[in-house]
Amino acid sequence: MKYEFTEDDLQEIEKIKAKYPEVKAATLPALWVAQNRFGHVNSDVQKLVAETLELPEAHVHGVATFYTQYYKEEKGKFVLDVCTCLSCQLCGGYDVLERAEEKLGIKAGETTDDGMFTLNEVECLGACGYAPMLQITNDKYVNNLTPEKIESLIEDLKAGKTPEYEQIEMPLRKVK
Amino acid sequence: MPEVFIDGKRFEYEGEQRLLQFIQDQGMEVPFFCYHPSLSAPANCRQCLVKVGQPVKDRETGEYELDENGERVIRWFPKLQTSCNTMISDGMVVHTQETDDLVKRAQKDTLEFILINHPLDCPICDQAGECPLQIQTYKYGPEGSRFEVKKVHKPKRIQLGPRVILDAERCINCTRCVRFTDEVSKTHQLTITSRGDKNYPITAPDREFDDAYSLNTVDICPVGALTSADFRFKARVWEMNQTPSIDITNAKGTNIDIWTRDNLVLRITPRYNEAVNDHWMPDEGREAYRLFNENRVSRPHQKIDNEQVKSSWNNAFATVAEQLEGVDKKDVLLIGSSHASVEENYILSKLSSLLGYNEPVFTSHTEKGKGDGFLLTDDLAPNANGCRLLGFNEVDNSKLSGLAEKAKVVLLLNDNLVDREVLSEDQLNNTFVVSFSTNHSQTSKTADLVIPITCIAEHAASYVNIDGRIQRSFPAKETKYTNRRLDFEMNEGRLDRYGTNFDNWVTEENKVDCLPFWIVASKLADQLGVDGFDYGNGREIMEEISSTLAPFEGVSYARMDEESGIVLDQEKTTVKS
Repeated sequence: MKYEFTEDDLQEIEKIKAKYPEVKAATLPALWVAQNRFGHVNSDVQKLVAETLELPEAHVHGVATFYTQYYKEEKGKFVLDVCTCLSCQLCGGYDVLERAEEKLGIKAGETTDDGMFTLNEVECLGACGYAPMLQITNDKYVNNLTPEKIESLIEDLKAGKTPEYEQIEMPLRKVK
Repeated sequence: MPEVFIDGKRFEYEGEQRLLQFIQDQGMEVPFFCYHPSLSAPANCRQCLVKVGQPVKDRETGEYELDENGERVIRWFPKLQTSCNTMISDGMVVHTQETDDLVKRAQKDTLEFILINHPLDCPICDQAGECPLQIQTYKYGPEGSRFEVKKVHKPKRIQLGPRVILDAERCINCTRCVRFTDEVSKTHQLTITSRGDKNYPITAPDREFDDAYSLNTVDICPVGALTSADFRFKARVWEMNQTPSIDITNAKGTNIDIWTRDNLVLRITPRYNEAVNDHWMPDEGREAYRLFNENRVSRPHQKIDNEQVKSSWNNAFATVAEQLEGVDKKDVLLIGSSHASVEENYILSKLSSLLGYNEPVFTSHTEKGKGDGFLLTDDLAPNANGCRLLGFNEVDNSKLSGLAEKAKVVLLLNDNLVDREVLSEDQLNNTFVVSFSTNHSQTSKTADLVIPITCIAEHAASYVNIDGRIQRSFPAKETKYTNRRLDFEMNEGRLDRYGTNFDNWVTEENKVDCLPFWIVASKLADQLGVDGFDYGNGREIMEEISSTLAPFEGVSYARMDEESGIVLDQEKTTVKS
């Protein structure tokens, strides 16, 4: 498959380039433009980004492989990163993960056949206060999960309903 | 002059200096892996940690503050500093591992971390014996590891490019190779991929590491992660013997080391010369080691019934004399060579003038587009400038073939004129061609008599590079007639020293039956009845050249060794008598 940026993408990349004194600094945002367009930055997309920015391919490859948030292969439309690090683990992260695996019929690290979901088991995403939690495609956090909640989440996503951003108040110490 | 105190000793310094380099320049040592004097210093191996402090100055008076003992008060940096990217400043106080236990401990612990995932397969690793990681682990490292978990496994035996193989498990991610392609060869072909404990250097996907200078990364790799596809598993470092020499594959005169074992050249590595090649050399030059081993002319060969058969030295000299005696002097053509040394060409020209022949001619060997402005040049011969400074007539290819066709006898010094299509076999049909050759080639096959001469790896001789710099070689491998134990210019490796003719690591066949051209010429002169033409080695020829020819004034082997080459005054010309 041949990957090409649209005219809009190229304009956006030009804008990004204009922000920095050197082109090299535009690598990260340009990779985001690419990932938003194609859903991933596999080696062909990395080449495209390198060509567009006129940077060495090896450099772009090195940057892309450094960050797990850039997908180096095709993923599902929704990537569910379920946290099973300490806090989430204690609050039932594995129960959530297992229910998700059952519901989707895949194991962690796999993608469903219809290309809708990729399920990942990840380490701490910094939301221990609302454990267990997961992140959807590098974006929204879904907090205070229960096995039931994840089932309905998956149903919602299938129906095209994405969750809202959630603001959770932290209990503060009462000053006397 | 600004001063710096290292381990309690006072040193003066000038200009901007990196602390690690300065410490090394003073003959002291701090361990390091990622630093390289010709590359940037990212300080990512963390091995060169030292304790650094600055004296406290009174802001108002600018005087140093003193303590009750009258010593300067030192304000230490809050943490240990990497000496490779710390610039020296006036009054700086430095403690290395020699005087500070914290530094010693830090270096030891860093090494323990570096070694967590290192396979420690030194017994089968090519780098063993010349491995900074191995050496420094012995010197500064912990005695054992406290890590009992399984080591991280990474890809092994990746063919990065046609000449370089990667073993990612051995890699310590110093990024020297990546910085080399970024800063020196500027092909930007390598990067570090993945992150954390799984990272290693690699090319972009589906790309080859085909940099014309790729093998330099093997040299600067401080572990055995990058190895040469060609040299891999061929020899242990300590079995070999290292001899300084000059690259002969182009006119840059890159300084090299020739590594031999049992009189075979096994590899070529660059030798530092700031004025010529810094620490680097092109991959092409390393291939030249085959020229020194393979396809060598051993014993004179004479063409009888269109077939070259081995002949004797006596017969060879007698045949040349016989051929020369029968012909008119102007029908003899001597062809010098930009592929031969100054000494060899000088001897050819001296022989011709003594015998009353025309001055030798030569043709340069260039290929447009070969040069890259760095260490590759369009000129593919090591000594075209040497021939020019000797006052040889430089002729173009067509003129040379015309001359050769007309001549009755051609004496051809080591230059593959038929192979590079300056001359054709047909043109030489009616000419008696004597070729003084190092290797068999189309040209030597065409010749009626082939007299084997020593190559650059077997004699000490000098070459003038493209910038007019004269540099010389040392004999690295023995011929049938030389002996390491008698020739003080030759190095002895362990096997050379302790081997005997009855061991299975001494192979007599590896010694080529050839003579230096000056000895061949002396014997020829003797045969032809010329008196006083007797040269034993390159050194005495160079003495004669420097005392008679203006461009070479003041040149001697001693000076070339001392100054790693001398730039000749190319304005001066050799006046022909």
